[in-house]
Formats: sequence, C-alpha cells, structure tokens
Amino acid sequence: MRLKRWASVLFVISYLCVLAWGTGAHALKFGLVGNTLSYFVVWDMFCGWNAYDNRTHIIAEDANGTFYEVREPWGAFTPFGNVDRINYDVSNHLVARHINNVISHTSHPDFDRVYIVQEIWPKQFNVPSNLWSYNFSEPMEKVSYFHLRSICAANGNSIETYPDWFNRQTLMTIADNPRLQQAAREATPYYNTYFNPVANNLQNRFQVTSDSNGLNTN
Amino acid sequence: MKSSKTKRQSIFSGLREFFFAEEAPYGLALVRMFLPAMALIPMVRRFGRVRELFSTDGAPQQLFEVYGEGNVLPVLPPSFAIALYGIMIFALICGIFGFRTRLAFLIGAPLYIYFNLLDCVSTFTKYSVIASHVLLILAVSESHAVWSVDAILKRWKDGRAASAIPPLVPVWPARLIQILFCFVYFGAAVTKIQTQAFFSGEQLRYWMLSNWNYSNPIGEFMATSTPLLLISGYITVVWEITFPFLAWRPVGRFFALGIGVMFHIMTWISLGLWVFPLVCISCYLAFLMERDIVAIRRFVHRLRLPTSLLGLPRFAMARTIAMRPANVPLSMIWLAMATLVAIGAAEADYRMDLYGTRTEGGALPLKTLDREVALAMIKNPRPLREKDKFFSFDIGSMLMGGQLANRSTEYTYGDSIIAQCNINPPHEDLWVEVAIEDSEERIIDSAGQYVTRDSLWANFKYEAGSRMSPGDYSLVLKSGGKEIARRHFKLTGDPNTLPRPIPMLTN
Repeated sequence: MRLKRWASVLFVISYLCVLAWGTGAHALKFGLVGNTLSYFVVWDMFCGWNAYDNRTHIIAEDANGTFYEVREPWGAFTPFGNVDRINYDVSNHLVARHINNVISHTSHPDFDRVYIVQEIWPKQFNVPSNLWSYNFSEPMEKVSYFHLRSICAANGNSIETYPDWFNRQTLMTIADNPRLQQAAREATPYYNTYFNPVANNLQNRFQVTSDSNGLNTN
Repeated sequence: MKSSKTKRQSIFSGLREFFFAEEAPYGLALVRMFLPAMALIPMVRRFGRVRELFSTDGAPQQLFEVYGEGNVLPVLPPSFAIALYGIMIFALICGIFGFRTRLAFLIGAPLYIYFNLLDCVSTFTKYSVIASHVLLILAVSESHAVWSVDAILKRWKDGRAASAIPPLVPVWPARLIQILFCFVYFGAAVTKIQTQAFFSGEQLRYWMLSNWNYSNPIGEFMATSTPLLLISGYITVVWEITFPFLAWRPVGRFFALGIGVMFHIMTWISLGLWVFPLVCISCYLAFLMERDIVAIRRFVHRLRLPTSLLGLPRFAMARTIAMRPANVPLSMIWLAMATLVAIGAAEADYRMDLYGTRTEGGALPLKTLDREVALAMIKNPRPLREKDKFFSFDIGSMLMGGQLANRSTEYTYGDSIIAQCNINPPHEDLWVEVAIEDSEERIIDSAGQYVTRDSLWANFKYEAGSRMSPGDYSLVLKSGGKEIARRHFKLTGDPNTLPRPIPMLTN
C-alpha cells in the first residue's frame, strides 16, 4: 500500500513536470527542435493558416508522352472531409512513398517521369456562391495557379526539386526590391574550409607556421 | 479558561487532499466509457485502410521522420498490422465496458499511440494526443471500480454485503485529466498570442474558409464578418487563460466548463471539427466529483427516468462471462477473444483486397490525363493576378480592432467613410490607391499609401464634406495601376447642414 502511494506520487509529479515543461518550452520556444515527443506536450493547435488554398496533383509521363493521373484508382482516403490524404503532407515527406505505393499497385506502362504540381488559389474563392454576391461585388472569377514542385522518378525518388509556391512567393516579395538586389550582387561570397583547431591541436602549429601577424589560416 | 487549538493546514496537506482524497470514481468511470468511444471513431473509420496507412504494403508517414529523427517505429507487414489494429479496437471496446479494464488499456493505449505515430499526415492530430494522455491515465487508474463489468463480477464474487458502499479510490487520476486540460487550454492561448494575425481576425477567417476539415457552412458565413471573428478570438483566449483558475471554484467551474462546451460546439459548427470536440467534452466528465453524481442521481430519480436500462449492456456481458468454466481465468477469456479478433481482422483485410490486385483483371489501371491539361499544369508559370493579392475591399463607417466593423452604402454629410482592403499574405510592398469617382466616372479625389509586406490590411478614411453634391459615387481600389475593385455608395442630405468647415476636410 505504501509502495503504491509512493508510485502514485512519483507518477503525479513526473506527469505534471512533463506538462509544465511542454507549455514552458512552447511559450519560450526552446528545446523543441528535433524532439518528436514534444508533440505530446506542446499545444500549438492554431499555428497559422495560409491565405491561399492548395492541392497537390501528381502526373506521370510514359515514354510515349502519355500523361497519367497518379491517384489511387481504389479510391483516395479522405481523412477529414473530402480532401485526399496526400494534400495534408505539408512537410513533403510522404509524397515519394505515396507515388511509389500508387504506381506499384496499379497497372500502367513504365513511367519516365513523375511531376508533382501544386494548385493554388486565393481563399476568398472558397466563399460559397450563395454568399459571394453578399460579400463581393465582382463576379467570381477563380483562377488556379499551378506550380511545379518536383520531378521524380517512377519510384518517387526526387530528381529535381523547387521551392514550394508559398516560399517562392515570400522570396519574390523580398527580392522585389532593387536596393536589396544590388546589395546582394555587390556582396563577395566568402568560403572557408571547416576545421577544428582544438581537435587537430593546431594552436601550436599556428604560431610556428604563420606569418608575423599570425593571420594565415591555410 | 479554555483555549481552542486551531489546526493549521500546510501546503502539503492541501496538496494531499487535492490529489489523494478518496471518492467513488464516477466521473472517471464516465471518462472511461466515453473517451475511448470517441477516440475509436476515426480509428474504426480507418480499419479498411490499415494496409495503406500503417503497413509495409502502404505509405505510412511516421512523426519521427518529420522531426528529423528517422523511422524509429517498426512498420509491420499488413497481416500483422491489421491483426494488431483489431486488437487495439477490441481492447478499447473492453475498456469502455470495463472488462479486464487495466489489461485492456495497458494493451490498447500503446497500440493506439503506435498506430497514430505511424501516420502523422492523416491520423495523428492533437485530439489523438489528448486521447493518448487520457488513455494512459486510465490504464493506471481505478476507473473500473464502478460502472464496469469488472465491478459487477467482483461484487458477485464478494457477495451482496460487499456492494453496499461504493468503493473509494484516490482522485489523482481525475485530477491529472483536469490539470491536463488546464495545460492544453493555456498552451493553446499561448499559441494564439504568438500568432500575429489572430487578434485581427485574419487567421480565423482563413481557417473558416479552408476546406481541410468537414463541411462548415456557418463558419463560411462567419468568416465574412470581422466583428464576429474579433469577439470570438478574444473570448476564446480569455477563457483559455482563465480556465485553470476557474475550473475548481464552486461557481467558476460551471462558467469554465460551460464556456468550454459551447466553445467546442462552435469549433464543430464553424470550423468543421467533429472528433476534437467529442474527445474534449468526454474528458470534461472527469470534473464530475462524487457529490455532483449524487446530485444528478437525485434529479434523475425525481424525473423517474429508467436509468437502470443504462446498466443492461454491462450486466448482460457480465452474465455471459460468468458462464465460463470456473477454472478458466478472466484474462484467458480476454486473450482468447483478442486472438479471435486478430485473426478475424487479418481475414477481413484479405477479403477486402484494398488495392484490387486480386480482381479478375489484375491491378487497377491509372487514369490517363489529357495532354493539354497536363502540360498546362506542368508548364504554367503564371504570375499572380494583381486582384488575387487582395482578399476583399469594403466600405463602412466604423472600425473595430483596426478592422471594418460594418458595411454601409449610404452616407450623409459629416459621416466618416472608411474604405478598407484586406490583402493576402505573402505579398510584396505595394502602392495602393483609392479614388472617389462620381456617377460619370470623373475622379473627385484620389489618395494612395504604401502597404508594406507585413501589412494585412489598409484603411482609407474620408469625411463626407461639402464639396460633393448628393448623388451616387464609387470608391475605386487600384494597385499596380490596375483597378482591383469598385464599391458604390450614395451621398444624401443637405450640405448646408454641415457645421463650419474644419481644416481636415478632404473634398
């Protein structure tokens, strides 16, 4: 009975400490990078939504130039609502595995290339048509923007990758500044070969081999 | 002279009382019944997809990989994966009814966490995390002490006399669930405070207009009303921060939990979240203490509701289990049933043939795509239209939190006319102009301002002065030299009613 009480006390204290650490680390933003288990104690349920909606399309091309839609013929899984699972892959870790899974379980000619394309549109066009005229005077003229994200082999391995549309737009908004572009062009790239003086005990060798100012690094 | 000794309570005695007071665990039993049921809703839905989501013959995506730690968990062949999946569902159902409850949760909770971690793209979400916490707490708790098959079997074994008083157990598991929700809401408030555009309503608006959850027609309507979004945002954050301080007050907890129930119902209505509110509301039952259950029972008895019917399923189960041979332990029965479920699950997966590879024609074919359509998608570097950078353009007369609080199309002399454009991020630095045109499209006034890349809206304010005669006008939004939107308004009244002109009139 006493042991049971002590075990309970230990469990309670440990659990509360873990919860407190999670909330504190999230508030102060430390100790969370690369820590998978932090997902269990960090309550970031509302971490940001984009102004543009996006969908992922996967298109395969065979040697004859025929294009195929790489989408599950057995029916795509829609986890929440009616959006296919692959669209929830915001970190792009799943897409290669997904391509391989669909292609390996379907019948088709051999594929040369597989293209991953983002379809983007502004979210105001998600307002239903019955509410559109109440909120907007203009006609609803939705235009989708397609952005090539990656070119892969038939097994999903990436051959060429490009920044996703959102990162690209952000970079373009920063680059849309002639003064910044000029400053970037004028900067001289500097390269250094990484070495560890402490590990290689170079301190003494520095003094022996360097010039009179001790500035020779290689 | 007598002196009364006062008993001082130390902080430790208060904590001891808070965590280790003994009560009949009715609230915990209710959590035991409802939480696994809610957690099972998405898992049962994924039963037919186990091969695709959780096995080597599919495309699982571990959470560890997303965090850069590689594939830590073993991914099993489909037959083993579906067998374990079946055992998980069986174990959680046993937990609901309270049959070998601790064994059920000790097996079911780790399996639930394992399968969720295997698919962080479409299965593992924050409601899974909350459910994981609560399932683990239930595994180490005495939630089976009341309202369970285990309690019935124990009562029959111990005799009627032993059942006169409900068993008393320490309350710390219920307290941990209560404290968990305090941390959940407080952490969520911290997240919202750190999200730049939450308190101006943009983040709520973009979420409500996203089609990533279930259908939310009411949310789509709310998304176009900025005052509603602003008020909802502030109420949410204030409630989340005050929840830990009110949840244990005699009156405050009704407020905290009541707002919580309404909040979660609103997330269902406005955001299209279904399982999350069910999981959270089922965990609120942990806040019910023994005195609450006694009060509810008295109320229900006064209404003469047949509450004994609620116990029929577990009594029926208990009677069925009691028919076993006396020398067969209950755990063996449980394990035998789990084995049958595992075999049945593997057989069901084989018969379902998810990929259709065992159909007559062999593997299913992929659909071809029209060449023009495919090339248009692959090689279509179209730049963003200027008007797509703007979410909306509206005119009104009042601001709330920097956002337009109303929409007006009729003004009189002396009124403030406020034109506001909302801009979709990310966008570059813009020069945005608004012009006033009369009914014959003659420009009366034009003003512009910089809208820097971090801005999400821009306001243009006018005072309806005496230089405009009554009639129809338009406010025209322009960006990059292009007309983006036009809003019409009517100016009515008598310009002579204006007081003496003030220097700041713009027209």
